[in-house]
Amino acid sequence: MEQLIEQLKAQIIEALNFEDMTPADINTDAPLFGEGLGLDSIDALELIMLMDREYGIKLADPKAGKAIFQSVRTMAEYIQANRTK
Amino acid sequence: MRVTHDIEITTSSVILDGQPIVVQQTGEKMLVELYRRFVGDYPKFFKMDTLSRLGFIAAELLLKQPAAGNQQPVDAVILANRSASIKNDRDYLATITEGNYYPSPALFVYTLPNIVTGEIAIRHGIQGETSFYILDTPQQLNAIIAATPFQSALAGWCECSAQDKFYAKLQTIWNN
Repeated sequence: MEQLIEQLKAQIIEALNFEDMTPADINTDAPLFGEGLGLDSIDALELIMLMDREYGIKLADPKAGKAIFQSVRTMAEYIQANRTK
Repeated sequence: MRVTHDIEITTSSVILDGQPIVVQQTGEKMLVELYRRFVGDYPKFFKMDTLSRLGFIAAELLLKQPAAGNQQPVDAVILANRSASIKNDRDYLATITEGNYYPSPALFVYTLPNIVTGEIAIRHGIQGETSFYILDTPQQLNAIIAATPFQSALAGWCECSAQDKFYAKLQTIWNN
């Protein structure tokens, strides 16, 4: 799980163009939206695309996103349970 | 009509009010260098396409000039170029090619050239008119500016046709 979390942080930094950031700068349990990383709705779409592209996960239910994208840890847990690649 | 400040940005030089700003980098890396040196507090810069980064940096440097700051804030943004948002359009197209269909939302939102005027207006709280024209030459913009009612404007040419191919010449103009 820890390896997946580190990999996911690096992918988030690349996908969202956080050029000044390293994986160590992202708190695994901090909120991704609002406070914490302060992501917006376009970033949410990028994360959905990232999960599809890198892990073969298609999010069909928008309501599920709130729980999945709560933090990097919740994203990683969902990926580990549902990945197809 | 009175020009109070002007800036010219090429892929390897920056001239503000006739004075060169020494830069170490060229092309798009130069825009990042300028952001780090003169802005640094607006992470959304890194999400922008090159056209928006170019206009944003030009506006930052221009609107920080003291004489402009002592007058009323700029109330309009009037920009133009020849290639619209073609560089970003092509980047977006690359994300929806057959066999690699992962359309990027972050690229999609910049597939209009007038987004740069919005980025500048949001950053500087400009609530007047914002316009972006697609023209053959910068000279055509002069007639448009002359016919546009405004009290003070950030106006000029903001062009990005491909990776590391861009040019901007912007001015702050007062109509009094």
